[in-house]
Amino acid sequence: MRQVLVDLVIRLFGVVLASLLGAVLIVVGPTNLGGAVDRIKSNLRTVGPTVVALALVLVINSVVRDVGVAVSWIIGINVTDVILSIEGGFVGSVQSLASPPVTAYFSLIYVYGYSFLLTFPLVLYLLHEDARPLHETTVAYIVNYGVGVVCYVLFVAYGPRNVIPELVDPLLYTNWPQSQLLVRQVNANTNVLPSLHTSLSVTVALLAYRFRDAYPRWLPIAAWLAASVTTSTMYLGIHWGTDVLAGIALAVLSVFVAERVGTEAVRDRVVAVYGRVAG
Amino acid sequence: MTRSLSDTQIRRRTALGALAAAATGLTGGCLRRMRALTGWQSRDQLSLRIKTLPADADPYALPLARRIAAWFRDAGIDVRVLPMAEQSLLREVLLANEFDLFVTRTPLGYRTPDALYSLLHSRFVATPGWQNPFGYTDLEMDEFLESQRRAGGARRRELVAGLQRRIAETQPFTVLGFADDLRAARTDRFTGWQRVDLGSTRGYLALRQARNADGDGSDGSTHLRVVSTDSSPTENLNPLAVEFRHEPVLTGLLYDTLGYRDDEGAIRPWLAESWSFALSETGPSLELQLRENLKWHDGTALTAEDVAFTYAFLADTSLATAKESDDDTDPIPTPRFQGRIRLVADVTTLDDRTVEFQFVDADPAVATRALTVPILPRHVWRKRTDRASVTGVDVWAATEALVTDNVPAIGSGPLAFVENTPNEEVVLETFDDHFLVDGPVPGIPEGVQGGPAFDRLTVGVVGTDATAVEMVETDNADVTGTPVGADTIPRIARASALDLIANRSDAFYVLGYNTRRAPMTNPRFRNALAHLVDDRTLQSAVFDGYARPGVSPLQDTDWLPSDLEWADDDPVHPFPGIGGELDVSRARDLFREIGYRYEDGKLLEE
Repeated sequence: MRQVLVDLVIRLFGVVLASLLGAVLIVVGPTNLGGAVDRIKSNLRTVGPTVVALALVLVINSVVRDVGVAVSWIIGINVTDVILSIEGGFVGSVQSLASPPVTAYFSLIYVYGYSFLLTFPLVLYLLHEDARPLHETTVAYIVNYGVGVVCYVLFVAYGPRNVIPELVDPLLYTNWPQSQLLVRQVNANTNVLPSLHTSLSVTVALLAYRFRDAYPRWLPIAAWLAASVTTSTMYLGIHWGTDVLAGIALAVLSVFVAERVGTEAVRDRVVAVYGRVAG
Repeated sequence: MTRSLSDTQIRRRTALGALAAAATGLTGGCLRRMRALTGWQSRDQLSLRIKTLPADADPYALPLARRIAAWFRDAGIDVRVLPMAEQSLLREVLLANEFDLFVTRTPLGYRTPDALYSLLHSRFVATPGWQNPFGYTDLEMDEFLESQRRAGGARRRELVAGLQRRIAETQPFTVLGFADDLRAARTDRFTGWQRVDLGSTRGYLALRQARNADGDGSDGSTHLRVVSTDSSPTENLNPLAVEFRHEPVLTGLLYDTLGYRDDEGAIRPWLAESWSFALSETGPSLELQLRENLKWHDGTALTAEDVAFTYAFLADTSLATAKESDDDTDPIPTPRFQGRIRLVADVTTLDDRTVEFQFVDADPAVATRALTVPILPRHVWRKRTDRASVTGVDVWAATEALVTDNVPAIGSGPLAFVENTPNEEVVLETFDDHFLVDGPVPGIPEGVQGGPAFDRLTVGVVGTDATAVEMVETDNADVTGTPVGADTIPRIARASALDLIANRSDAFYVLGYNTRRAPMTNPRFRNALAHLVDDRTLQSAVFDGYARPGVSPLQDTDWLPSDLEWADDDPVHPFPGIGGELDVSRARDLFREIGYRYEDGKLLEE
């Protein structure tokens, strides 16, 4: 069974890698790749520490995810009931649109589309001549994962497929059972509030809008994918509408924070501290 | 100016005085009235919570709970359904008793009446686990449970019938149905799936290799791959643990018992070679001879000492601790085997292979149940007698033995522990020194002779039934180790390499009441609730027909009296309505008749 998981991961990597290459050619264009190596080097020098911080948050995230589920059953608040009383069978009505091709589309979007949407901005902005987009993206991701993991410990909630099975089908797993092996590596079924799929996708779309002048072709792609991922989380019965709203709020917050923790501000502070120490 | 000023003052004083007088009068009257009304406050709507498992963990529990909640709601009760992770649910229900109602599947069937002893006797209200989780106390029930132990023949049959009627009358729980045990299996590597019961330990031992199957390991070894939706055996192999599930199949393969239950329900020698009963005035006694050359998985010899230790230890897992301390510390027995352990008065070793059991006053047929507890290695478990400092569990006096994960597990069973990856898989291998391996053993059923038909058994964990079936279909597993839901049947039927195994199961889904909490303290109220559950709709709408309705845990045994048999409708609690549609006015009458009141269609608290 481990082999099945390994195969899934390899296929995921293959698909994402191929889409990344394709997307670079379309969004950046082959003619604009001259001097890319120098730009990447310079960007990494500036944003390096932030990227390390993101990696650290991801490592903490994966540790907390394992331990956190047990902890959150002890200290967390079970909000399943509250969410259900707020929105009732809303996700069921989203699913009323279900048909096999739509289900196939959203399943692919949920797994492959999301992975691509998350990784492409890092590649794209690494190629940009100034480090700001990459830095803001990294900071926004840190905020998303940081807030997300805290919420997952504080709130215990099951997704609609685990609460109102007579109204909501687990479409992802009935349509593509193997994907469950992949999903359970990154998510426990009690971690639904907020939807990190939504928050990260919307974050990417917001940043694509913010830096639309640099990459005008990326904006419509990002917007389309973000909308699809967001819809897929509900359509597949994994998330509540409430989770999605909370995810959108988290996305706005993360971009707001990222804007304020700009590279200049950081550099200024470093220079100031350095000056004080040296002086 | 001054005069007019003082006039105003006087006028103001008068006004204030009048006001004060009026206020006093008003308050006085009001107080009297309030005193008269004390105790007549308007009541709130009755509000109940049903705790259960999410759809990922159990295919039926949540849909059952939601159907039941809908009927209760129609009857005017405010009901909410709360799905919880399995371990959390079992902790809250079985350890902390924090629940109103719960819906889940019982861990085992109750094929034998004496198994109900620990489920319903009032002496177990404070014992965690599946020992009277309902907090149910009924003197008549206690009397039935005790006297059936001592009686034999027709008298016992009569008492057991009375016992079942008492359950039906007082409803410590409502039986929701006996769901068939459904599994998907591949037929290309192993055969015998249809013959064996995978809900029991012996089922795995009775599988046979398919004729043309090659060994799939690099060394030509044979490997049985089980896929499960239950992750607990990958992190906990303690046969004494209460907050883990469930069918103790895996621990049953790791730990042997002295006797096994045959298909007719009689207990026959397993680790024991033979035994013989002697009757005395205080109760039966039994001299038991162990098989020769028994070994633990670590190579140590299994002797009569281990057997005597096991029974002493299960009766008090603190052993020495309790002896040293004063008389005001009670023993800490293992909750899980309470009913069986209480049959045993004393165990003494006569020599390395011979043990003598002295039982309490009980019929020998009942007393042999005590021989079905797992035998534990003394050299491992005697170190686990200290009080455990537990986190996450409301500490009921627990010893290390009750809370250890027991990894690696060292038993004497036909399979030995190899390795585990929590939440992913656990690997077992055939134990070559097991008595089954050396060839035909007299008295052991034909099917399991010679030991397992595989060298290795792995249990891998996935998150949902659909994924489990898919793993078997794509040849990444041979069988689903946990029963799957009826909604996966079309998938199993479509795949030509798969066999659908459908077995009747003795385990049943149950709506449990916390009889410690009002209004579930009232047996009439529990009866009224039982009426609101339409078993027929549950069978068709939730179980898709893959279940049998029933009112007694002993359904499908010879013990069931004819008046408790299910004909067309529930023989005790017929549903007030048609086709699952509750007749609201009849439902309300049920509650009005027993003294409850309605306001705006809401059932009020007591």
